[in-house]
Amino acid sequence: MLKFALSSLIICALSYGQTMAQGSKIDSSKMVTLRIDPSSARGAAVSQFFDEVNFIPLETTKESLFGSISQLKMTDENYFVFDWETKAVLIFTKTGKYVAKVNASKIEKDPDLKDNQAFYGFDLKTEDGKTLIQISAGKKKHYFDLTGKLVKKVDVDKADKYADYKKFGDGTVIDQNYLEEKDKDSTYYHLSLIKDQKKVETYFPYRPGDYKNDEGWHGGSIYDYGNPDEFLYVKNYQYNIYKLTSKSLSLAYQIFFPAVNSLPIDYGTNPIYKGKRYEYYEKNRDLFYEMANSYLHGDNLYFQVRNWNWSRDEKKAFIYNLKSNDLTSLADIEPDSTSQFLPITDLTSQYDFTNHGFHIVTPDYFYTSYSSLAMFTFKEQNEEKNRKYNALLTEYFKTQNRKGNPVIIQLKPKKN
Amino acid sequence: MYKIYALVVVMILAVTVFDAKAQTANPAPAGTAKGLVRDTVQNYVLKSATVSVYKAADSTLISYQVTNNYGEFSFKTLPINIPLRIDISHVGYLTYRKNFTIPTGKNIVDLGTIVAERRDVMLKDVEISVPPISMNGDTLEFNASAFKLDSNAVVEDLLRKIPNVTLWGDGKITVNGREVKSLLVNGKSFFGGDLKIATQNLSKNSVQKIQVYNTARDQQSTRADSTLEMNIKLKKGKDIGFFGKVGIGYGSDNRYEADASINMYSPKMQLALVGAMNNINKTANSMNSLMANSTFKGVGTNVEYQPDFRATGINRPRAAGANFAYDFIEKPTYQKKSTLKANYFIQDRNSDNLTETQTTTSINSTDKNIEKGTNISTSSNTNQRFDSGYELAKKGHRVNLNQAVNFSNGEDIDQTFRSAGTLQDALTSTNNSLNTSHNKSANYNVNGSYYYSPSFYTDRTRFTGLSMDFRLQGYENEGKRVNITEFKSFIDATQNQKFNRKYDTKSNGSNQELNLTIPNLQKLLFVKARFARINFKITNKLSLKTDDNDNRVEDLDTLTNTYRPNAYLNNRVKTNLIEETPGLGIERSFQKSLSNRYYKSMTIRFHPKMIMMSQDNRSDRSFQNIKRNYRKFVPDAGIDYYNYQYGEYSRSYNLNYSTTLKIPTIQQLAPLTDSTNLYYLQRGNINLRKSVQQTLSFSFSHDDQRSKNTLNYYFRATGGFISDNIVDSLIIDDQNRRTVFQVNADGHKYLTLYGYIRKAYKFKTSELQLDVNTDMNTNRNPGYTNNVFTYSTNLNTNSNFNVNYTYKSYLAMALNQSFSTYKSRQEAFNTGYNGKNLGTTLSSSYNVTKKFTLNSNITFNNSSSSNTKDINFTIWNASAVYRFLKGNNAEFKFSALDLLRQNSSVINYGTSNSFTVGTQNVLQQYFMATISYYPRQFGKKAAKK
Repeated sequence: MLKFALSSLIICALSYGQTMAQGSKIDSSKMVTLRIDPSSARGAAVSQFFDEVNFIPLETTKESLFGSISQLKMTDENYFVFDWETKAVLIFTKTGKYVAKVNASKIEKDPDLKDNQAFYGFDLKTEDGKTLIQISAGKKKHYFDLTGKLVKKVDVDKADKYADYKKFGDGTVIDQNYLEEKDKDSTYYHLSLIKDQKKVETYFPYRPGDYKNDEGWHGGSIYDYGNPDEFLYVKNYQYNIYKLTSKSLSLAYQIFFPAVNSLPIDYGTNPIYKGKRYEYYEKNRDLFYEMANSYLHGDNLYFQVRNWNWSRDEKKAFIYNLKSNDLTSLADIEPDSTSQFLPITDLTSQYDFTNHGFHIVTPDYFYTSYSSLAMFTFKEQNEEKNRKYNALLTEYFKTQNRKGNPVIIQLKPKKN
Repeated sequence: MYKIYALVVVMILAVTVFDAKAQTANPAPAGTAKGLVRDTVQNYVLKSATVSVYKAADSTLISYQVTNNYGEFSFKTLPINIPLRIDISHVGYLTYRKNFTIPTGKNIVDLGTIVAERRDVMLKDVEISVPPISMNGDTLEFNASAFKLDSNAVVEDLLRKIPNVTLWGDGKITVNGREVKSLLVNGKSFFGGDLKIATQNLSKNSVQKIQVYNTARDQQSTRADSTLEMNIKLKKGKDIGFFGKVGIGYGSDNRYEADASINMYSPKMQLALVGAMNNINKTANSMNSLMANSTFKGVGTNVEYQPDFRATGINRPRAAGANFAYDFIEKPTYQKKSTLKANYFIQDRNSDNLTETQTTTSINSTDKNIEKGTNISTSSNTNQRFDSGYELAKKGHRVNLNQAVNFSNGEDIDQTFRSAGTLQDALTSTNNSLNTSHNKSANYNVNGSYYYSPSFYTDRTRFTGLSMDFRLQGYENEGKRVNITEFKSFIDATQNQKFNRKYDTKSNGSNQELNLTIPNLQKLLFVKARFARINFKITNKLSLKTDDNDNRVEDLDTLTNTYRPNAYLNNRVKTNLIEETPGLGIERSFQKSLSNRYYKSMTIRFHPKMIMMSQDNRSDRSFQNIKRNYRKFVPDAGIDYYNYQYGEYSRSYNLNYSTTLKIPTIQQLAPLTDSTNLYYLQRGNINLRKSVQQTLSFSFSHDDQRSKNTLNYYFRATGGFISDNIVDSLIIDDQNRRTVFQVNADGHKYLTLYGYIRKAYKFKTSELQLDVNTDMNTNRNPGYTNNVFTYSTNLNTNSNFNVNYTYKSYLAMALNQSFSTYKSRQEAFNTGYNGKNLGTTLSSSYNVTKKFTLNSNITFNNSSSSNTKDINFTIWNASAVYRFLKGNNAEFKFSALDLLRQNSSVINYGTSNSFTVGTQNVLQQYFMATISYYPRQFGKKAAKK
């Protein structure tokens, strides 16, 4: 056993040195260490965190019926929803009225394709002051106007592969799969900053073989919290939250969880876990195997943790106040009159919020969603208390049912 | 008789209806108690705390709830003006306890905000009180210690106490209306998996909790295809123990019964030894039924397991067996398992049968033949069976190996006296025979299967698994028989015949079968090609059968009084049958789902196969040297449709089509006709062709997803055509001599229907279960009678209606009404037969005290058929049971069976052109006293109090 431990330690040390040699240095001078015990998380009333909660039921018609919101974008006038199940982009007004949709039938197929041309999301572009929905599908980019009409089709420009990547204001591109080819080796990077097609910085190198026969890995996730100059980055198997600017990556928060929730320090590098991760999580259900959906608003740091414990009581989404060190459990934010006594997320049914976090975070508003099934369940549990809902919701509960479209929840966070 | 019956039924219904009314639409007001549970320190509500309401006086659980999303609870049907107690518990919190009373007039108590206090970390291990029910992730847990029961209670008594859990009359368990498909003890199958062995033996006090969860093996369809599993988690240290029974009884007419069993278990091993003997028709044909019939059962009421008064004859079975299981891995999972199981069973059975029948057969449109028969037989058989199996699961590989050996050895003496006559009662012939035989047989089979599917694979994985199974069977039979037959004709004395024939037959053979399936063929060949999501698989079935039949026949030479070989019947036939069926499975699946709304899936299957058979018969007789090859395209196809509507119901529909082939055997093509049985002479037909059966079946099931008042139903219909069916051509002469040979005839059609509806109502102190099931089959069989082609159309139905009612643990009543009919018509002769059997069983069990129980079981039988008088009889059995000693371990039982002395088992059935009525000897009135002792211990040392 000792031999094994020793040898694996040596392997780790060696491989660590090797890989680090190739990436850029991560600035950790401003790192803050947070010690967070999820079991100490407190509850709060909705009004303690939010000034305003608006429910926007999305209109349900035969034409507009969709599954769930997997991507949400908006302009001043409209919400745009991408639904994975019906493979459609749906356009609604800000009050939730259905306008139009773009589905596979409006997308040109690649010539050799039999099925509908698949697409996995959309972007909003502005041209001549008009908003266009841009859908990349197959060899073409399609542009639609707000009535769902095709405006133009453009061949995908191979030379400009970074056209639709996440960018900073100065044009620096974030590449999460950058390949650097040298004479013999080729090395990929989980995170790179590219400007004018040239690399600025590269972080977290890996070789394609590193993940061969491994389970459930990914490079990390980038979260937009409404600051055009900065994103948050969370790397898997780490409890670190990084800040990413157009110039560099810096480690902002290093989080320590209680031992029972923590992965071994060498979890990401030690090959003994390779290909056995699911087995390991199954045995250690309290372990947080990743962090996700992190946003910063004022002094509040939002984040989620994930583990294999599916209990309804398990607290997995938090708001940590960097000033007061208060930890609040998002699922335990109690409905009050601000939210018309309805929960602000569907964390108890572990669906939309668990998977997507907030769809959109802006300095002024957060947006999440939940199903009509959840909405009606919450309403039924309120039945005996004679809750009064606003005109919109009263109408919604009267005319709709649990099979209707999801509801967008717009939250106005308190400034602190 | 029927007046009494009607009266009893009405009374029961009245009681039930009254009770049902009292519980539901009760005018006596029900009280409401509501409140909210909050952790004020951490400032949030507790969303899944367990809230239980007890009667303060004796701590009986009245109701429980889990708090909702708002941390609230609200009980609606609590008793008024009675001191109650509320317990609120949650993991990591101290149990909150409060007494309250719902005042009359107000009918509501608002307990307001209840403050839950965190349990000090230091006290973590101290369990102060556990809630009766809790949710742990997706697992529903019932905590045994929260239910106050008699110290001798078993798991079954505990299950009866839990709202939403229903124990059905037929032994099934449902939770919120969904059927529990498998029951485990500490994650392992328990003594062969029969639910009763665990639920009626394990002491409630040895159980920590009962867990109920879905076993979804497929990540894709979490709730869709999952089945419900129940796991009994034993308390620490109670995973080792034993239970058993020793009982003997003696009664009038030298009736006796004795049984003994012992079951021992430890974390890795299970061993059971069982033995039983009696002369009261309590026959157990396997280890499992023996074990299921020697359970402790506890203090609850039970209406089941009585001597079988419907069994024919008087049987004296003796049986013994052993059951062994060993888990190499103490806590097996689906992915990791290594289990060895073995069973041995020996059964010795002596029986005496006496049957009297009268069969009416249509010869043509006007004439009928009436055959009266008496059959007296005694038999004694010894059967032995040893089987074992090994199961291994490791990382996507699954291996199963099973073997079984059966030996049987038996002697029979069979006397038959038959006489045939016309409708006008004129005797035409008699045929009497005496058969003595001795049979010995041995057969063995070995089968193994290997299944592999990688635990995860990507788009680039070529090989996505395979399945293979292999079966080898062999047999060896040996029989010696002497047959003495005398046929007398009253029309033509020259036709009288007498035989005294000796048979010595030996046969042996084997059957080997290899099945291979390679799924996802398209991936194997063209890694990335998608073929419009069509899935292909290769299947192949190869089977080789051999059979070697050697018959030595001798006739008594009356002159010399010695047996001489019968040159005609002395024969040896060897048959080899090779069957090869290659096939290609093509499957296309469609899914449609909308988050939180519905999940629908449809699969269309088409499985073209080619069956090729080669039958080769080699015989001492040249006319039996027949070699035939058959080939036929036998496709299967099907459509499965599944519709899951969130929060409402799930339904599944299946439509299946299959083709099967039946080829004529040597006995049908060219038999050696044994002329001793003149009432049934078998002749051959060399021109017989294969027959092809096409079957179409449809099934539908509805699974309620609501949590209240669930209603589940199921329906199945199967229909088919057989072309070129091999049917009888029967020639009956005026003396009832029958000659039968097979011919091919088209036009055979059949249809069977089956369905059930189940519903349970659980009230505060009582429970009512309703269950209706019915099956019906109708067919049109072609056939020849005296060279006239006729269709015979038949309709058989069988319906059952069951009502089970239990009141607390004092009274259990069950009413079963069965109704079966048969009807047949011969088109060419314009004749028809019909009959019906009606049975009403009323069982009740009443616990006078915790130790003393009275049971009564009455069955009213009515049997009627066309042309005969109705037969009515009633069987009434009653018993008194007294349990004594501290753990109720000893039992004294006095039973009186067939109190009215009316049992006479009735025979009443119809076939295509005949119907038979009659009676047979059965068990009749007796009284018996039984004393039993149940040794039981759970945990290493019995807790001394």
